Formats: sequence, structure tokens, C-alpha cells
Amino acid sequence: MSRTIRTLLAFIGAFGAAGAQASLHERIFRYGFDPAPDAPATQAEAARFLTQATFGPKQSDLRRLMALGYDAWLEEQLGMAPTLGQPAVEQVVNARTAAGQSISQMQRLQRWYWQAAYAPDQLRQRMAWALSQIFVISDQNSSIGGNIVPMAGYYDMLARDAFKPYRTLLGDVTLHPMMGRYLSTFRNQKPSATTSPDENYAREVMQLFSVGLVLREMDFSPVLSGGVEIPTYDQTTITHTAKVFTGFTWSDAPTAPPNFNGGGSTFAAQSAPMACWGTELFPASGSGSNNMRHDVTGDDGTTATPKTIIGGVPIPPNQTCAQDVGDALDIIAAHPNVAPFISRQLIQRFVTSNPSPAYIERVATVFDASNGDLGDVLKAILMDDEARHPPPLSAGDSYGKLREPILRLTALWRAFDAQPQPPDAYGEVKMTAGNSLTAQFGQGPLQAPTVFNFYDPDYQQPGPLADAGRYSPELQIVSEASTYTSGNYYYNFSARAYIGMTNPPTDRPLLDLSPLTADATHPAGMVATIDGRLLYGTMSPAMRATLTSMLANLNGASANDKAWSALYVTLLSPEFATQR
Amino acid sequence: MSHSRNSRREFLRGLAALACCGGTAALMPQMRMIGTALASTRDLTGYRALVCVYLSGGNDSWNMLVPFDAARYSVYSTARGGVYNGSSNPGGLALPLPTGAQVAAQQIVDAAASGDASLYFMHPALSRLADIYRANRLAFAVNVGTLVKPITKPEYSTPANRPPQLYSHSSQENLWHQGNTLSGSTVGWGGRCGDIVRDSNPNQQLSACISVAGANRFETGLSTVPYRMSANGLTSLSGMCNPTPCSSVSATSVRDNALNTLLEASYENAFADEYRKVFKRGRDLYNVLDAGLDATNLATPFPTTNNSLGSQLQMVAKMIKLSREQNYAARQIYYVRFGGFDLHSGLMSGGANDHASLLGKLDAALGAFWDAMGPTDVDARSDVTLFTASEFARTLQSNGSGSDHAWGGVQFVMGGAVNGGRLYADGGGPIAGFPNQDLQAPNNFSRGQMIPGIGVDQYAATLARWIGVTSPTDLAAIFPNLANFATGNLGFV
Repeated sequence: MSRTIRTLLAFIGAFGAAGAQASLHERIFRYGFDPAPDAPATQAEAARFLTQATFGPKQSDLRRLMALGYDAWLEEQLGMAPTLGQPAVEQVVNARTAAGQSISQMQRLQRWYWQAAYAPDQLRQRMAWALSQIFVISDQNSSIGGNIVPMAGYYDMLARDAFKPYRTLLGDVTLHPMMGRYLSTFRNQKPSATTSPDENYAREVMQLFSVGLVLREMDFSPVLSGGVEIPTYDQTTITHTAKVFTGFTWSDAPTAPPNFNGGGSTFAAQSAPMACWGTELFPASGSGSNNMRHDVTGDDGTTATPKTIIGGVPIPPNQTCAQDVGDALDIIAAHPNVAPFISRQLIQRFVTSNPSPAYIERVATVFDASNGDLGDVLKAILMDDEARHPPPLSAGDSYGKLREPILRLTALWRAFDAQPQPPDAYGEVKMTAGNSLTAQFGQGPLQAPTVFNFYDPDYQQPGPLADAGRYSPELQIVSEASTYTSGNYYYNFSARAYIGMTNPPTDRPLLDLSPLTADATHPAGMVATIDGRLLYGTMSPAMRATLTSMLANLNGASANDKAWSALYVTLLSPEFATQR
Repeated sequence: MSHSRNSRREFLRGLAALACCGGTAALMPQMRMIGTALASTRDLTGYRALVCVYLSGGNDSWNMLVPFDAARYSVYSTARGGVYNGSSNPGGLALPLPTGAQVAAQQIVDAAASGDASLYFMHPALSRLADIYRANRLAFAVNVGTLVKPITKPEYSTPANRPPQLYSHSSQENLWHQGNTLSGSTVGWGGRCGDIVRDSNPNQQLSACISVAGANRFETGLSTVPYRMSANGLTSLSGMCNPTPCSSVSATSVRDNALNTLLEASYENAFADEYRKVFKRGRDLYNVLDAGLDATNLATPFPTTNNSLGSQLQMVAKMIKLSREQNYAARQIYYVRFGGFDLHSGLMSGGANDHASLLGKLDAALGAFWDAMGPTDVDARSDVTLFTASEFARTLQSNGSGSDHAWGGVQFVMGGAVNGGRLYADGGGPIAGFPNQDLQAPNNFSRGQMIPGIGVDQYAATLARWIGVTSPTDLAAIFPNLANFATGNLGFV
């Protein structure tokens, strides 16, 4: 349904039942100048919501959310155009190359961190970040490690599709050449006497991007048969599915005369959806058929059988590549596992590591009812009662999640209006203090060690969490070593990065400490500001007392030193490391 | 033996350190809960360490160890689509049969076999390891893989007869770490060995399990959690006291006190509390280890540039040296990880990340480690056993530029205590010996995936015994499927 038609319906629906707005992404401003009835009850509640929905609450975002209310704020964000990285990265890469300067993934990373800190379409950028942890590609793999600009393009694709139907995203991911090279569909050949098609993508598209390993109910609990989990597919299914993902190459590989191994020498070609050399381009037999690279056969290697893929669903033989891929992705996307499998992971990225089965089911239901509309799904995740109303703290509480290390940094920048550096001679705004930060934080954009992301959705920290059967993905990358290495960078971005310091660095944003230094002689006030801006008012009395007395004992220090000391200790604190 | 020097004094010093570092939480920081009364207090003497080298992605191990005799080599080469040649046979995955001077470099003899059946060659990149094999200190475990019980192909079709989720990286890696095929387990055989052997370790603050490669199920036990270190050693924490506390008052010490107060509190929210525990452990162990680690030098140079395994094993060697000198432990288990083996494409391509490059780095790193354990350096060769693990081998058959996921493969064990210079290919089950590599062989699948003849349980139990877990009750608890196999001790160490 086009947005225009939706707007019309929204207009009509606005005067009808209140529930009609549920799936519309444009609306008229119906409440005039009164505060929206669904505005957060307090600034603290607003900051908590923005902690879930953005890269960290910013004062200006808080005001906007309080004015618009949740629904209008979400709709505004859902309708916002994506901030793209590829054009900016390409510009910097070209400028540096022209000037004989080295280029690396650092160019892509600087832009990513800039977007996280400053892009206005925060919800979309957060969703792209979440999707990049499911539909993983990584520059740690040499097949794409040198493709700086096209990898930025892959991320842009996630941002553009962030609020589109899941099936659209799945198709764009499958055909993106960076995914093609990462999971080896690129130039994957039809069978020969001594080879069979590469099975990499066939496996991971099911295990990681759609259905997972075992059948699930809508609430994500495993379907059991005789007390045993039921696999969603087996090795035979993989082998058959691998036949579908054959014949891909660069979009500009020449077809006349044909050169399957040609093309791909420009950024544009390296970012455009892959071409597939199936029967849509070349005949299956006779003259020219050696260029037909797609496997048109079925299960038994002949055209007498179909390709039987997940769920026992057949794809007819002798189809074009586009037909085969389209059919396969339709079948996969329609599998009942997709809604709970994807919904649960998205909830883990935004709200809590251990959503209740009922929460997952509510979101999965929206997933199915909206035909996989990811905007509807995210709105359902954030507006669910379980997201908006945390249970009161008590012994053994395992609601919420550990904050991702990167999100602690971006929250700091946004809470204290970090001032970006001016662009350098090549147009680049430096953000990361000269380091990729990935080794120190244990995570980095499109830099996972494997296609299994930085952490496993099912990781259970040994101890009370594992004993209680709870998941804690982000704890998988926290270690005795990483608390130090990430801590040292939180220091570099606070103690060594504020407006008004002597010899400020030029490779990272500078914090505005003035809201804190205003209370240099009033420790309680400084701590209250930190509580409001970083912990949305949840700082415990014990932590408040510790910080207040620390500031009192720093009475010989400068106002700036007090301010960054309080920030730094907060950044290291267990309470700030947690999102509840 | 240097580790017994001043052992009693060190032990008492260790106790004093525990007392000064505060609270009961600091006393047993690696304790989660006292599990079942599994761990029997034992008084293991001397020092032993296991080093697990996890090759992540599924090592194409049938190219590490290849039959040399003409008949079997021909079968291998055919299955792999012929010898790789960048221009004339880019889809082939077979290594060329060594000739001339290469024969002496690559060929090895299986001392447990005779005639043609004893002739093999190793990948050309594994020159140090070939030498160590010929010195009888490296052994191959052949056709090892995850199994519920020994099976042959007709039994494969019954799901209960085979491990779940074969060919899935994450699932198979979990089973290798576990040493069993239990679903829903979150502990590994290394951690469970740690549960048992830790009682013999004088320093109870430092876990018996040490990882230089992050969190891992292998080293997680019922009451053991690995101490995770970086390959670069211990960094200091900016703006804070290192070690903590400072010796005098300053802005740094004021901040440091505040941080320590926050880390000594406990938190109702489990995520906050777990984070706190890890951070606190890091600070406590920094206090214990930093000065010593800084002062620990190895005589052996390690390949650390562009070789993450070299960096990791260098840190392992240092920690072994320090642990022995300070008598921290009688038994330790180390974990390192080397990735990049999931070579669906570019297996043979000659690029910087192809199989040969990876094996070259493996060889250089392990060669350096071997040297470091030698008599002129750490002098712990007979006390340290290194072993490989990988979630599966890869299809003999090519996909046109690489190989896909398979099952049984080759692992190896290296150390002064290893009964090396031979292959261990017989687990006492129906499939035994160096496998027939014909794609149509009765216990292979059509792309050259092999049903293993030796179970991971058997491989792991052999190592567990060596590290000190010998009671049949303990072994049965850690390896519940071990009773399905003919033997729990393959005898390579």
C-alpha cells in the first residue's frame, strides 16, 4: 500500500476508531497545541524510552518527545528519510585517494559513529544497527575487508529497509554483493562432475537470518515432539537450497561478449544488486549454455525433480534464477518461525535480554498481521507494556539487559551535546580517537568476528543468570580484560575530550561539561544532572552518595576535572552498564 | 622442579593476599555455586597444563594429513577434484604429492602401521609440526568428530543415533566444548575438569581455567569460570590506581576509591551484578598478576605480527612461566582461538587468508610455543600438552573454489608427554583406521563427509585423565556418553 493511500486512510481513520491508526506511518497532528495524551509522564520516563529507541537521550529529543507523545514521535521517526553513509564515505575515500592518502575501514567507521551521534533519524539508525547484528557481514573477512564504500552501502540498505517488510529486506540482503562475497553466493557455480554448489548462504540464511535451528511457537518456546526439539531443516535441505543461490556475479559483468568473472571495478557496481546468469540471460543447453551458471536442476541433479527446500516445499526445475531466488525467499519468509525468531532478537537489541513468552508472542503477532512490516514490529516492541513498565527492582531481578559498550559511548556524547570536529581536508569528521574501538569494546559496526555476530542471543553468563535459565548476550563480550580496555576509551572520550580543555584533541567529539561545571561547588546538583541525563533518574542512593562524596573529596580539583571524573566513574559503573 | 621452590611460602603469601583484598566475594571469586558433590578434593602434585587451540570455522583437516602411497593418494586426489592449479584446475582442492626435496620435508611415517599404510605427508606449511612429529612428540587423532555413540552409515538415518544439528557451526562447536552431545548444556569439559583440579591450586583467586580468547563454553564449569586475559597482557586503567589502592592520596585515588566502592557493592539486577563481578575480578587479579607478568620474559621470540595465534600463545607461555614461578597452580587449562577456517571459497587460492596461510601461521605459532616450553626457556615441555579442536572437517568434494561443512576430521596433540610419531585412528568402534576417502565409501556421504570413528568424548577424556581427572565417577559425569564407546583412553598422552 503506498504511503499516499495510507495517509488518506489515516486522515479518514483519524476520525474513526482509535485503533485504526495501529499500522499507519503518517498521520495528521490531531491534538493541536495541548500536550499529547500519550506523552511520557516524566522526563525520566522519556529519557528511558529514548535510551531504548535512540543512541542515547539528547535534551532536544526529550523536549520533542514530551511535546509529541510516544505515538507521534514514533510516527515521525518512522517516516523520516534515512541518513546515508555511502555517499559521504565515498567522498572521503575519493578525496584521500586523490591526495595519495591511505584508506581503510576507518573511513567507514568514522561516518558510522558520526551518524550514531548526530543523525536525526535515530530510530531508523538504531534499527539498522540491530539488523546489522542479525544480517551480519563483516570486514574481518578478507573477501570484503577492502570494500570500504560498498560495505557502507550495505549498511545504508539496512537503514533504507529498516521499516519495510521483512521479505523486502531479505531479498535486498541476499542480492547485495557484499553479502554475496561474505557468504559466498558470489560466483557460486552450478554443479559439475567434481563440484557441488557452495552451501554457505543456504545454511546461514535459514539458521541466522530467518528461522533458526528448531521449530518455535509464536512465543519462541520450542515445539517439542516426544519432549525433543524439532529441527527446522536438515543437511539435505541445505544441499537443495544451495542450488538456488548459484550463478551470481557483479551487476556489470559483461554479457556480450560474456565474461562471468568481469565487472565490479567501480563502487557503484560493487554496491548494486548482483546479477544472476540464469536462463533469463543464457540458454540451458546448446550454444552459449556454458555461460548459464545457475543450477536449473532439482534434487536428483536432473530436471526431472524439483528443488525441495525448507518445509518440504518444492521449487520447479527449469526456472530462471530470479524465479528460483524469489520462490526460495518467499518460502523462507513465509515460514512460521520467522515472526518469533526475528521478533525475539529485536526485543533483545532494544529492550530486554529475556522477554517474556507473552511479550514475544504479542510482537510476533504484529509481525505476522502486518506481513512482516518491520516498522510496525519495532513500534510494537517499544510500546509494549513490558518495555514501558519495568517491574520494580528486587532481589534476583533479571529484567533489562547489559548496555552494549558502543551505546554507552554514544549515550555520553548525546547526553552532553558533544561537539563534532570540523571536517578535515578530505571531508572527514573524526570521531573515534584514532582507533577502530572494535578490539577494546568487543564490537564494531560490520566488524563481527564471524557471521554469528559479537555475541550469541542464547549466551548465558555462568552464575545466577545461567542458573535461572536467563540469557545475557552482551555479557559474552565483557571480560576482565575488556572492562579495562573499554574503560580506557571511556576515559579518552571524557577526561581527554571536553570543550575548554588545554590542547583539545582533533580526532573525537568534545563534551559540553557546562551543565556539570555549573554545579562545581554543589556536588549533589552535579550528580543529579548525571542521574537525569545518563541513568534517567534511576541512580541508587548508594551510588549517589559515592559520587557526591567523591566530588566533595576532589575539592582542590578544577570544575572540569570534577565533571569528567564524575562522568568517567559513572561510565564505568555497574548501574550505567545496565539498561533497565 | 622450579615450581616447588618456596611453595609453602608462596601459599601463605597467597592466603594473605586473599585476606587483604576484602570480602567473602573476593575469597572464591571463581565460584558460582558448589555443584553436586562431584569434585573430590585431591592433592595433585607437580604442574600440568592443557592448552586448547580452537580452530574456528571448521578446519579443512583432510589437507593437513594426506596419504602418501600411490593408491590412497589417488583416491584422495580424485575425491578432491584433482590437484589445485590456479589456471588449469582452480576448483581442485588436492595438495600435490611431494617430490624430490619436499619428500623429506613433508613425509611422515605412522609408527603404528607398516608398509604403504604407514606413509603420509603433511601440508607443506606445517614444517615445524612435521619435525615435532618426527621427534615423536606430536600425535594425530584421525577421524574424530561428535558422536552420541559409534555408528555406521545404516544407523545414521535414525536421529537419536547421531548428534543434533550436524554441520551447524555454533551447534557443533558447543558439542566440542562440552565433550558430549547433551542439548541445553552450558558447561564444558575443560571447566568441569577445572572444578575438580582447582582444589590442588595454591592460589584460589586465579581460576584454574584461563582464556586468552574471551568467553568460551569449554572452560565454563559448574563452579569454574575462566579468567579472561588479552594477548597483550594486563593494561592499567586510566585515571585510576594500578594496582589498587594507591599508596598516597590524589585525585586519582579519590576516583579510585569511588570506583572500588561501586564495585564492592552488590546489585539486585543480575546484569549489573555480573558486570560488577567481572570488573572486580579484573581489578583483584591485576593486583595479583601485573607486577609478575610485567617481569616475566620469554627467551623465545613469537610470531605476533599478523598472527593472532602467535600473540595468544605467547601470553599462554608467559602465564605458564609466571604460574610455575609463583606456584599459583598445580593444574591449569588454557584456551586460545584461531579463526578464518570456514573456507567455502578461496581454500587454495594463494591469498593471505587461504588454508595454506592459516596453516603457516598455526605452524609458526605452535613452533614458537614448542620452543618456549623447551629446556632453555620455560622448561615445561613434559608438563604442557597442547591439543587442537575444530567444529568439523570439510567436504572432500569441492564447491568450485572451496569446501563445505563436513564431520569427522583430523586433530593433533603436541607436548613432551605425548606418545607421538604415530596416528591414533582406532577408538575401538566399527569405523577405524585412516578412512577410505572415496566419495562412495560405505561410511562417507556423497561429498566426502565422514562418519567419525572416534568420538570427541574419547579424545577429550584422554586429555582429562592426563590433567588429573581419573576417577570413573568424575569421568562419567563429565562425559556421560563415554560408556557408549569401547575406550575412554586413546593413549596418546
